[in-house]
Amino acid sequence: MEGWTGVATWKWIANDDNCGICRMAFDGCCPDCKLPGDDCPLVWGQCSHVFHMHCIVKWLQSQSTNSPCPMCRQEWKWKAG
Amino acid sequence: MTSMEKRLQKELQAMTKDPPAGVSVNTNSLSSSLSEWIVDIEGAPSTLYEGERFQLGFKFTSRYPFDSPQVMFIGPNIPVHPHVYSNGHICLSILTEDWSPALSVQSVCLSIVSMLSSCKEKKLPPDNAIYVRTCSKDPKKTRWWYHDNSV
Repeated sequence: MEGWTGVATWKWIANDDNCGICRMAFDGCCPDCKLPGDDCPLVWGQCSHVFHMHCIVKWLQSQSTNSPCPMCRQEWKWKAG
Repeated sequence: MTSMEKRLQKELQAMTKDPPAGVSVNTNSLSSSLSEWIVDIEGAPSTLYEGERFQLGFKFTSRYPFDSPQVMFIGPNIPVHPHVYSNGHICLSILTEDWSPALSVQSVCLSIVSMLSSCKEKKLPPDNAIYVRTCSKDPKKTRWWYHDNSV
């Protein structure tokens, strides 16, 4: 054997296929990014809802007072990784 | 394409492919950036608005879905309803302070159809006369008082 080429696949494990904010696939990236993966990570809230990090940060920044989870309206709390 | 256009493009695809009952996007009305839509809705069967047809005008800013859309009844037929002013403005909390970016054109339309469906008596809001005389053209500029959750 002269050599070999490794091929790997990866997948986020989320309880949904699409981000509830941008509606893009979790296997893809948010609309502002070009490449999925570590540059456009997913994040979880303590309520167990998951979003592209860039999407939930934009939402939290757009809220002046409280910052509810877009899905369940409970206060958004980051789940420790 | 901007992120607002990408998201609206997805919503449009879903709504034309699999439209919810009584709700249809008027595709002739769409502007190229998708920032304005007209949606035709129909009063649900066995309700006070059965058989009536209405039009909802949607306007989106470039900050959609972080910013709520401006939504109001337009055209010749404005439903007579305790939460709908005679100028088409709608008192519905998800359109302002209870907006969430997880909502969509489809979920807003379904909320409005269901708001009509639960109505028991066709009457104007009690403050209609003064509201339509003094309000801004943009219903999002109104500080709504959500005093009644029953309809």
